[in-house]
Amino acid sequence: MTHPMRTGARLELKDVTKTYTGHGADKHVLDHISCIVEPGEFLSIVGPSGVGKTTLLRLLTGLTPVTSGEILLDGKKVTSPPEDLAIVLQEYTRSLMPWLTVEKNIELPLKLKKIAKDERGERVQSAIIEVGLEGNGSRYPWQLSGGMQQRVAIARALASRPRILVMDEPFASVDAQTRLDLEDLVLKVRDDFGITTLLVTHDMDEAVYLADRVLVLTGKPAHVAAEIAVPLVYPRDQVETRAHPDFGHLRGEIYQLIRGKR
Amino acid sequence: MLALLRRFLISSWLVVVLLLFWWKVSANSESYFWPPLSQIASQFKTNWLFANVADDVLPSLKNLAVGYFIGAPLALFVGAHLGLSEIAQKIFSPLVNFFRSIPGVALVPIFIMLFGIGDQSRRVSIAVAVFFPTLIATIEAVRTSDAVLLDVSRSFRFSSFQSLWRVRVPSGAPMISSGLQVSLQVGFIVMIVSEMLGAFRGLGAFTVEAQQSFMIIDMWTGIIMLGILGYIFNVIFELIEKRALRWYRGQKGLTS
Repeated sequence: MTHPMRTGARLELKDVTKTYTGHGADKHVLDHISCIVEPGEFLSIVGPSGVGKTTLLRLLTGLTPVTSGEILLDGKKVTSPPEDLAIVLQEYTRSLMPWLTVEKNIELPLKLKKIAKDERGERVQSAIIEVGLEGNGSRYPWQLSGGMQQRVAIARALASRPRILVMDEPFASVDAQTRLDLEDLVLKVRDDFGITTLLVTHDMDEAVYLADRVLVLTGKPAHVAAEIAVPLVYPRDQVETRAHPDFGHLRGEIYQLIRGKR
Repeated sequence: MLALLRRFLISSWLVVVLLLFWWKVSANSESYFWPPLSQIASQFKTNWLFANVADDVLPSLKNLAVGYFIGAPLALFVGAHLGLSEIAQKIFSPLVNFFRSIPGVALVPIFIMLFGIGDQSRRVSIAVAVFFPTLIATIEAVRTSDAVLLDVSRSFRFSSFQSLWRVRVPSGAPMISSGLQVSLQVGFIVMIVSEMLGAFRGLGAFTVEAQQSFMIIDMWTGIIMLGILGYIFNVIFELIEKRALRWYRGQKGLTS
């Protein structure tokens, strides 16, 4: 199917530092993180658990303020959640509204943005088709499997027509098979809309499989250990791509970065 | 159909057995205070099917309805906003805790003093008594909204007003609903007590007057009528709640 092509947003992190203060000792979580994500690029952010990946995500989505440094989205400083950004979180059971049907969940942000009813309906339907949830619009999230719920969350994000999609461990709580399907769905979405995509994950395979580039965070406080370009061709394939020698190579490189500098 | 019948039998057999027991035991009673149930039943028919309903039941119910539908929505509105602001909670919580500790019925004399012994003072008493259970439940419901849901709301740039009424209040609806139910029960009690204190009509007035003029059978019919009404209110409330909170029961995996 055809989609109106949108261009992705450009994200720039300049010397971003985060220190949580209060409650005893200050906690220095992120140390001078700098990175540029080009429009339409797919960037994975990996690191050992507890390194501060989620903190970084909160900063660049504007949910939490930076301590110092700057985050720019298309050159505009991010101080609160920007218009062009949408997020998908790990906890799908908590991020969807259980009192609303799938359709109403996807529609709510559009409704509150005062988008006209006809257009809302169109956007909801095309988002449902995009994520493969046809026929489930009038069901409730809790009537769906975990994978399907996460599809609803992705559809909701897409319906607001973001230029950058940010996902925090979106597939960590679904079973292995579903996970592969969702990974390919996310690649399709990026392809269809050309949106810039950021994925925070602890899974190195997933990070490499999906991304143009992998940002590796390590240390306490966390800093950028490496930015690794992934030269594997798109479209990627769950079997072929993962069997490619470069795939294993990159994966090993990242593994050593994370293990070695712990 | 059969399942419905079964459910009805399961939930009603004990009531039937107890009524039969009462009927049997009281049948030859000569005690002035414990008249035979048969006499109470026939007097009940004379009093409440439906001779005195317009005079003694409907006005009471109207007072309850007016008081409830003023007090409860107001509590929802005030509670939702108090729940949002930690400072407001700190300022108002001593006041709220003071007033909630006073039983609703204790306020009745004050309002009789202020508004006289008419329906107005009863409605105000009910509204005030109904206010606090819903207020407290709503504050708590709004205050404890899921952090993930709120992050999502913020990421979609919901205004704080939008996230209050579109996210916090609906997600807290089960808790708020418990508050509304307690409010209804409290309102019912205050409705009766407010009529026992100096009213000329109403179920409470009828019952207390019967007792004071030693019309014990009439008194019993009043008490039974109150029980039936209270029961019906609760059933209606739960039916509405069950419908409105279908999602909550579904999410929790409850089947009935």
